[in-house]
Amino acid sequence: MAKMTIGEALRNALDIKLYEDERVLVFGEDVGKKGGVFTITEGLQDKYGEERVFDTPLDENGILGMAAGLALYGLRPVAEIQFIDFIWPGFDILISDIAKERFRSGGQFSVPLVIRSPYGGGVKGGLYHSQSPEAIFAHIPGLKVIIPSNPYDAKGLLISAIEDEDPVIFLEPKKIYFAFKEEVPEEKYTVPIGKAKVLREGKDLTIISYGYMIHECKKAVEELEKEGISCELIDLRTIIPFDGETILNSVAKTGRVMIVVEAPRINSFASELSAFISERAIFYLDAPVVRVTGFDTPFPYVLENIYMPSQKRILRACKKLLEGGF
Amino acid sequence: MEIRTFEIEPFTKEPYRLLDEEGKPLFDFEPEDFGLSKEFLLRLYKDILITREIDRMGWILVRQGKAYFYISIGGQETSHVASLYSLEKDDLVMPFYRTVPSLHVRGAKLEEIFAQIMGRASDPLKGRQMPGHFGKKDLNIFVLGSPVGLGHPVAMGVAMGIKYKKENKVIISYGGEGSTSEGHFHSAMNFASVFGLPLIIFIVNNQYAISVPRVKQTASETIAIKAKAYGAEGYYIDGNDALITYLVTKKCVNEARLNKRPFLIEAETYRFDPHSSADDDKKYRSREELEMWKRKDGLLRLKKYLEYLGIWNEEKDEVLKREIEEKLNKIVEEVEKIPFPEPRDMFYEVYVKTPWYLEEEYLELKKEMEE
Repeated sequence: MAKMTIGEALRNALDIKLYEDERVLVFGEDVGKKGGVFTITEGLQDKYGEERVFDTPLDENGILGMAAGLALYGLRPVAEIQFIDFIWPGFDILISDIAKERFRSGGQFSVPLVIRSPYGGGVKGGLYHSQSPEAIFAHIPGLKVIIPSNPYDAKGLLISAIEDEDPVIFLEPKKIYFAFKEEVPEEKYTVPIGKAKVLREGKDLTIISYGYMIHECKKAVEELEKEGISCELIDLRTIIPFDGETILNSVAKTGRVMIVVEAPRINSFASELSAFISERAIFYLDAPVVRVTGFDTPFPYVLENIYMPSQKRILRACKKLLEGGF
Repeated sequence: MEIRTFEIEPFTKEPYRLLDEEGKPLFDFEPEDFGLSKEFLLRLYKDILITREIDRMGWILVRQGKAYFYISIGGQETSHVASLYSLEKDDLVMPFYRTVPSLHVRGAKLEEIFAQIMGRASDPLKGRQMPGHFGKKDLNIFVLGSPVGLGHPVAMGVAMGIKYKKENKVIISYGGEGSTSEGHFHSAMNFASVFGLPLIIFIVNNQYAISVPRVKQTASETIAIKAKAYGAEGYYIDGNDALITYLVTKKCVNEARLNKRPFLIEAETYRFDPHSSADDDKKYRSREELEMWKRKDGLLRLKKYLEYLGIWNEEKDEVLKREIEEKLNKIVEEVEKIPFPEPRDMFYEVYVKTPWYLEEEYLELKKEMEE
């Protein structure tokens, strides 16, 4: 088995799908010769030609329009938005067309497409290359939203996303594109959409997170373990449709929940999860559900390290929660 | 028979036309000179007439409380029907909300069109959209959303699919002149030209985007000239002249099919009714202007031309109108008997497989309805 980074695993997934399915087309700005600003599509144009892996004009509206039309016409487009922060010019197509196509056409048409995009902070990208807008996509019925946290899941989930009949927003945590390697099978496999993964079993506290934040949570959980505190860590992996069952089972076991996301707090997906747990598991709870998030400001440039939730902030919140201090 | 070539240049300041407002040829020609048979012209006229009658019925249904809303095509039917005639069966159509009554020329059943207007369960869209958003996959007609201009870039993507599959088809995307003010229009024209795609953007310039007149929509001399900036060709035509509309669209469709490149057509016309059943057009346009445009009506113009050719008369027209009216009344009567969609239908087709939380939401609603 090969060791791969998240970036390599994603490239491997695209390679496999381009090879086995002629309907798959990969495009976006700079994805061709350059291979994308994060090199995820590097080498794919040389291998599959300009008809299947190509650069587009700098226009997210055009990229999403092209993806929508190709999918409507029976192809399997995988469009790259260079940074998720730049998707807004194409938002009308996304929200008004792509998300609603199946429903509005009475099931006659579907748009099986994937929009891949780097998201999140931690690479000194400032306030226009660092945002975490997953909750905005999650609010739109008709879209699926996926955020992997490790190479194995990244590859398996991207293959699932390309094979899915619904439109998928696939957000790639850019801080950990090439941060670490893990063993990843070279052959094709899938990871199911809509299933969370319990990364660590525990009994005192449930922590729910996804993407890069999983890694800060892991560090915090290891620290707590040294103090004899046992945490259950859930990697949500799919934001929509989220895995309510795994969450509720864990809450019933631990009675305490913390949700960790990079995004600003108000109306974050952490807020949705908190409301979901409060509605359905209030009698299992020994303390209020706690959200650890970015602040409700635009993402700062120089101060990103203190903006993003860190092991330290997570640890502090865990202790407060366990002491009943919220 | 030798067919006369049709010499036209793009980017003219005046719209091309073959018939004057009285339906008389502007120069000496026979329809056969352009490959148009008299039977073809009669069929075209009948379809424009039925389109107008469907539209009239749409307004009646709103007044009778049998439809919640209606959005009209009255006055601009000629441009829609004649351009749709230029397509082959396998070609694709991205409609916009005023195209709908004319889609019967593509084979949409009148029962389906009225089921859509009246939101019944037999509506191919299952009553999920406002009237005027019809689409049918087996007829190669896509389903549009309400935001103006949205269809153009999506049609461009379909054209990319046609090119990728190496098919010999084209797609026509309809929109009003207001749709050219949206960034969507720019994206579609730019991508279609860069990638060389078989896309026809057909702009039905009916002079108003709801209440905002054409001159406040764009400062460019014509809409058609905008094509130049994208390296494409644009043609400005009289959309109330069925002959020119058919011939120019056909020319663009043929070239797009053959050479894989986009075209922009601006068809000048007018909408006789308010924007929709929820609009009052007296606030923004004079009755004199309306009357002036009614004299330029494409339906009337083609009728006069057919009379000029000696193949139609008032008596035949009255008989045909009565037949259509009876047919539409009967269809509406039948559609009225069809129930509205079931509440459960709302939860299907948001996703291919309904997620657990939507199943739960349906059960909540069901309980609420049973109480």
